[in-house]
Amino acid sequence: MRTLLTALGLAAAFASALALTPASAQTAAAPAVASTTPPPVGNGADNAGMIRPAPEGLYQALGEKAGIARLMDDLVARAVVDPRIGPIFKDTKQQALKDSLTLQVCVLTGGPCVYEGDNMKAAHADFAITKGDFNRLVELLQFAMDAQNIPFTQQNRLLALLAPMHGDVITRR
Amino acid sequence: MHASNHFTALSALCVGALLALPAQAETGKLLLTGGVSTITGAAGGGITPWAVIGTQASEGEVGMSAFATRVGTLDYALKSYGAAVAIHDRVEVSVARQDLDAGPAVALNGIAPFGIEPNPHLKMDIIGVKVKLLGDAILDAHNLMPQIAVGVEHKRLQPGSLGSVMDFLGVNRTGTDLYVSATKLLLDKGLLLSGTLRYTKANQNGLLGFGSAAPGSDSYSLQPEISVAYLLRRDLAIGAEYRFKPNNLQSLGFAAGLGDALREDDWKDVFIAWAPSKNLSLTLAYVDLGRIVPGVAPRRQTGYYLSAQAGF
Repeated sequence: MRTLLTALGLAAAFASALALTPASAQTAAAPAVASTTPPPVGNGADNAGMIRPAPEGLYQALGEKAGIARLMDDLVARAVVDPRIGPIFKDTKQQALKDSLTLQVCVLTGGPCVYEGDNMKAAHADFAITKGDFNRLVELLQFAMDAQNIPFTQQNRLLALLAPMHGDVITRR
Repeated sequence: MHASNHFTALSALCVGALLALPAQAETGKLLLTGGVSTITGAAGGGITPWAVIGTQASEGEVGMSAFATRVGTLDYALKSYGAAVAIHDRVEVSVARQDLDAGPAVALNGIAPFGIEPNPHLKMDIIGVKVKLLGDAILDAHNLMPQIAVGVEHKRLQPGSLGSVMDFLGVNRTGTDLYVSATKLLLDKGLLLSGTLRYTKANQNGLLGFGSAAPGSDSYSLQPEISVAYLLRRDLAIGAEYRFKPNNLQSLGFAAGLGDALREDDWKDVFIAWAPSKNLSLTLAYVDLGRIVPGVAPRRQTGYYLSAQAGF
């Protein structure tokens, strides 16, 4: 048992070390998702940062487009006054940001929206954003989802769709 | 004495730096994503390190943490306390002291004139360094690539009046473990998986020295360690750990006519960890440390584990 586990561990360590460069890690096959909605074409999903199809039930759990709009309203309101990341938003048109985020999350969660904004890299290139800043926004999103009584398991499914954007959003490593 | 001075100096440095920190704590990590402090000081679970770099600091930040842990089993008690510094979410340096109340060992005086004084304690100082090699355990939610780190733990045992027993066992009083860890949070499921491979010849984590006088049992071996944790809430996780252990001393005890007296078992626990704030976490666990010198304490050493960690 111990030998088997050791061998498995060694094999996994070697596979991890050899298999993936940063570039190929981005395009590594996503694990099979139990039930998914295939992404429609032409809705700006690529720019929205969609990497894998939306998990079933998430769009509904978020309250569909109206619920997502409430969520993004709350998130932006928290972000612009946050002691840590508020300054990043000092020149941001807040309503435009709320609308854009709503469309983006709607598209990512399989809703019937079209995202016409910039891709994540372009949208954030002019800002100084560290990993700590990114994590703080994630935290504020968690607070906003708590305030909307979104169940913890559904919260994590949304975060799993957004977290991989860290590669494009974080500009200060 | 020399090693003790180094350890004291490092600890003083940690405490001094902790006190000198500005009021604004480094809080760039999400709750619980820096792990808790293992009993050797490295960040991870309770008894096995993870690939995450500890403290609450994120990239570009420097963080510190301190912990105190108490373990109580049927016949033994262990205190452990220490501190860690984390730099840019890349390097973690930790110091820890373990203090095992080895009361049952007094019975060894009945086997041979070891001269063990009453209330014997085994103390061990540990200095650890961990380096993150690649990956992001938390944010790379789009693939199965784990975060990978390598680490080293250098341990120095001060056996006190149990020194004569260590000499009899022919064990070293210092030793170094090397390990590689892979850790991944399956974010959409709230499930954390971590595996560690440790290259070690420590007996009972080093508390019974390193290696053995028995031929064929004095070499390093690879020991796997596994953690699983499930997030119930942002601030609350439950989990289990299993740590395989070498068993270097059993054959020595057998050769000395003591049967299984020195047999060593794997360690396991189930735990619950709660982070009431970014700067504090509390962990409670039920541990099963197996047999620890069953020659004097034949029962499996089950009991509680309680730990508090403050992070900046």
